[in-house]
Amino acid sequence: MNALKAGLVKLQSWEGFLLVVLIFIILMNASLTDNFLSVGNQMNLFMLSIEKIIVALVMTFVIINAEIDLSVGSMMGLSACAFGWMFQQGVDPVLAIGICLLIGLVGGFINGWFVARVGLPSLVVTLATLIGYRGLARVLVEDRGIGDFPQWFNDLGQKGLIGPVPFGLIAFVILFIGLYVVLQRSGFGRKTYVIGTNREVADFAGIDTGRVKIVIFVMSGLVSAFAGLLFAARVGAVRGDVANGFELDIITMVLLGGVSIFGGTGTLVGTLLAILIVLNLRNGMALLNITGHIQTGVVGLLLIASVLVPRIKLPTVKAKEVT
Amino acid sequence: MTTPVLALKDVSKSFGMTKALSGMSITLFPGEVHAIVGENGAGKSTMIKIMTGVHQPTTGSLEVDGKPLSLSGTQAARVAGIAAIYQEPMVFPDLDVAENIFISATDLGLVQNRVRLRTRARALIDRIGMSLDVDRIAAGLTLAEQQAVEIARALSQDVRVLIMDEPTASLSAHEAGELRRVARKLASQGVAVVYISHRLEEIFEVADRVTVIRDGMHISTRPVGEVTPDSLIADMVGREVGNYFKKAPSHATPEVILKVTDLACEDIFRGVSFDLHKGEVLCMAGLIGARRTDVALSLFGIRPATAGTVSYKGTQVRYTSPAQAIAAGIAYVSEDRRKLGLAMPMPIRSNITLATLASILSPAGIIDRRREREIAEAYRKRLNIRTPNVDLAVGMLSGGNQQKVMLAKWLELKPDLLIFDEPTRGIDVGAKAEVHDLIRAFVAQGGSAIVISSDLPEVLAMGDRILVMREGRQMGIIDHKDATQESVMRLALGQFEGAA
Amino acid sequence: MGWIDRISPQTLRILALLAVLALTVLFFASQIENYFNARLFNRVSSSVAIMALIACAQTLVILTRNIDLSIGSVVGFTAFATGSLVTNNPEINPLLLAAYAMVVGAGFGVVNGLLVAYARVPSIIVTLATMAIFRSLLVEYSDAKSITSDALPKWLVDFPNVPLFTIAGVELRAAFVTSLIIVLAVHIALSRLRPARKLFAVGSNPEAAEMAGINQKAVIFAAFVAAGALAGLGGFMFLARFGNITVVAGLGFELKSVAAAVVGGVAINGGSGSVIGALIGAILVDMIDTSLVRWELVSEFWREAVLGLLILTAVAVDAILMRRLIALRVRREKARKEAAK
Repeated sequence: MNALKAGLVKLQSWEGFLLVVLIFIILMNASLTDNFLSVGNQMNLFMLSIEKIIVALVMTFVIINAEIDLSVGSMMGLSACAFGWMFQQGVDPVLAIGICLLIGLVGGFINGWFVARVGLPSLVVTLATLIGYRGLARVLVEDRGIGDFPQWFNDLGQKGLIGPVPFGLIAFVILFIGLYVVLQRSGFGRKTYVIGTNREVADFAGIDTGRVKIVIFVMSGLVSAFAGLLFAARVGAVRGDVANGFELDIITMVLLGGVSIFGGTGTLVGTLLAILIVLNLRNGMALLNITGHIQTGVVGLLLIASVLVPRIKLPTVKAKEVT
Repeated sequence: MTTPVLALKDVSKSFGMTKALSGMSITLFPGEVHAIVGENGAGKSTMIKIMTGVHQPTTGSLEVDGKPLSLSGTQAARVAGIAAIYQEPMVFPDLDVAENIFISATDLGLVQNRVRLRTRARALIDRIGMSLDVDRIAAGLTLAEQQAVEIARALSQDVRVLIMDEPTASLSAHEAGELRRVARKLASQGVAVVYISHRLEEIFEVADRVTVIRDGMHISTRPVGEVTPDSLIADMVGREVGNYFKKAPSHATPEVILKVTDLACEDIFRGVSFDLHKGEVLCMAGLIGARRTDVALSLFGIRPATAGTVSYKGTQVRYTSPAQAIAAGIAYVSEDRRKLGLAMPMPIRSNITLATLASILSPAGIIDRRREREIAEAYRKRLNIRTPNVDLAVGMLSGGNQQKVMLAKWLELKPDLLIFDEPTRGIDVGAKAEVHDLIRAFVAQGGSAIVISSDLPEVLAMGDRILVMREGRQMGIIDHKDATQESVMRLALGQFEGAA
Repeated sequence: MGWIDRISPQTLRILALLAVLALTVLFFASQIENYFNARLFNRVSSSVAIMALIACAQTLVILTRNIDLSIGSVVGFTAFATGSLVTNNPEINPLLLAAYAMVVGAGFGVVNGLLVAYARVPSIIVTLATMAIFRSLLVEYSDAKSITSDALPKWLVDFPNVPLFTIAGVELRAAFVTSLIIVLAVHIALSRLRPARKLFAVGSNPEAAEMAGINQKAVIFAAFVAAGALAGLGGFMFLARFGNITVVAGLGFELKSVAAAVVGGVAINGGSGSVIGALIGAILVDMIDTSLVRWELVSEFWREAVLGLLILTAVAVDAILMRRLIALRVRREKARKEAAK
């Protein structure tokens, strides 16, 4: 009886609502086409957006911390282009990968430093680095496309690593579990939430809030750089506009997942469900021959609904809390 | 007989279980400066909020010009000609003085006529009798000038009742004098000025009548000529001291844990010196603007002192962050639960373990949830926190239970020195007694406590010694044997024996 | 009382920006042969003609402590809608056409404004969503067709290039002049119209605005509608300049407009800034952009990297200097009061 009650309460949460929406969309899609539910189709769906998905996981940290990182798409581009450029210069690809990750780390640190230590709004800082990091990417590859990467590198993005499961998916699973543990179970995750809820309370409890913010931006830069490399491997070539505009898609997924733009609330599970909803919704619409821009528009409607719908529920929840 | 411009008739106001005002009646006449005095928490701010339409009375009524009127909101109060200015004025930093004054004026047309605006602004500033350039940008104005802007804004809306809430608390003596002249001048022009202040000498200079309120009730209203500082103090504190506010025996030992010498911070406070013994409760008494919280914040490393020394457990220390103070075993329980004390939407258990997070982490940094729950449950029992479970968001609890959660957070640190800032403000009597017992238990076990409190019975019941501050200065330290409500209040108000 | 107490932070910012602009020009003039010629001016002026309007629109919204990320989609939609109207009615009055663009843009502003001001959804969420929604409306509306310049009337295609005056070989072209006039008009409205002053009040201190009896919802709503109308006009300019309009028209303008405004000293937290600043910001950004292309020492691909650095520097320097300025003023004022005693 109690377990049932707990289950019902869980369903009333935002994640529960998302789950219902997801199941509904999947059932709709399944009725439209035969092989929709096949593992292959689902995995394919996932892999086509794997870079955004991976970055959305760290973006969840950033927004829960009551900040925003607009520079992720550019950092993905910078990392991909830096790899291409170094490869062209004859740098050992493994070393190049290491350097790219280092670039992500430094880029994230720059964002975090300006936000946490200079006290500038993250919206402005990361808007500047969105333009700046993209600019560096263009400096490296100019208007060329660089490709012909080593076969093993391309295989990482394109072929199954363990059976049919590609490297990107494995990386996602590892990252998801790792970040889930950090955010939902670790002391660092707790600090992330508290700072996002009320930075002063965290300050007064002796938490070094600036350092937590810097670490989160560094994570964001690092993972973006990794995602950029993954993109280079999956596509097999890089250009200056790799991952251009991805930041807005990524932020949409996170917000749809129930992470408050004001910080302090949201979970990685919510983000994951939102990702799956967006992917399946887009896939379903594609099956109905609806174009990409319209699909994005529908996701936009969903985003506004995600703020308005919980308000409709609010009165009943409030009443329960009083008693 | 003139008609009162504003009158409260038997007004009561309750917030949930707490009664902030009961049966309050007050009458304001045009052309008078009406001072209102009372301890912190006596109900002054609730009364202002009722007058300005922020709150509506639970029972009782308001009369404007002798006719009943209910103020449905701040807009209605403005229309009725009632305005208030506060300690922290509300100006728009990017607009100049003239625009700040007339931002919501409706009779200036669509297009801004600079000449007309400037002329009218000057006229208002002249009416106040201050020298202020109306073209200056508000961002660079001093506090006193910002208040002048607010007064002028109120005047521009034909204010008939102007409420000044502790207007001089953060002003220099010179500026305060200027502001009092403004209050008199406005009264001479027929405005009813409500003047709330803790500076008694100022009340004798500025007011026509004085009303004393205490515990949400009206105590007395008399012409200023008929009162003396002593009679005011007697009215302010003259309550029966209940049984449970009895002073418990002291646990103080001769060992000095904290020695503060001549501590000062910029021009906020200076000359603070005291010893705190192991097992002792030192109360800090004072009124708004006494700067007691600032002393606590400097000890806790939030805003480090700029002069003087602090010696803690025998070594000289200077903390520049709360983390350092916490590591040394000093905890500070803030007076502002909402802004500084608790992460309201987060569970009780997370709040309790917030300052001691490191102690419940595995070597890999993972929170030991069972341990966390055990700690939270232990405090729930020990402090009698009334909640169905410790996973509830702390914001869902009553004020008293929130306070206990905040105390639990700091007790879990097992500190040697606990600074309590207004530990019982806004909580009910039962919870108050529980908090007092807790503080006593803490010192009985060898801890030392500094209790900042504006509640005189609490100060007398808790303090082994009482340090009284006034406007950033230490006025004296009274041993509890010699302390009475009158003697503490006299120091807090800066009234010495024989001084008027 | 010295100038330091009188001058408004806004005037100071604009002076500083003009100084930076002058230094930029001087620097490139020393680096590039025959730098300051008519072509540079024409090039910068025709792209600023569009961006100035959009940065100006963005400024109105930012002043109220909000942001409009849908602005690029509004530009795209109005460019297309205006294009298709004129394609089907080539005889239409030019002013009517521009008015049509503004009305369509304002319509989108109404949607944003209602959601932000009255439904109280954070503007970043609303406009992130409407950015996508308006774009998809454009796709629906366009039905996979494009507007092409040969279908447009000649006056419209000529509009960006017709010189109104020529001074020493420098042409002041119609679109640029129109754009300048509009930005100036908005500036005058912002500084002279009493209701417009409330934008600053709401953005700088919402609590005080409430206490002063300002209807914040109406002010924020109005800001979004006005921004929509200006973006619509920007769409009209876009159509005139490029002629060929596809469904990706105006993509990326949302962030570029924020960048121009921020470089122009508009505070992202609201309440402070001017459209003149945003205009100079737009000019500065474009000037650097155009000049780097011609600077031989570095590859033209450094443009964006330099721009990013410029924004970061501008904001950091602005934040630090403004804090100092206010502290300095308070200190001076105190000293004066002491002396007066």
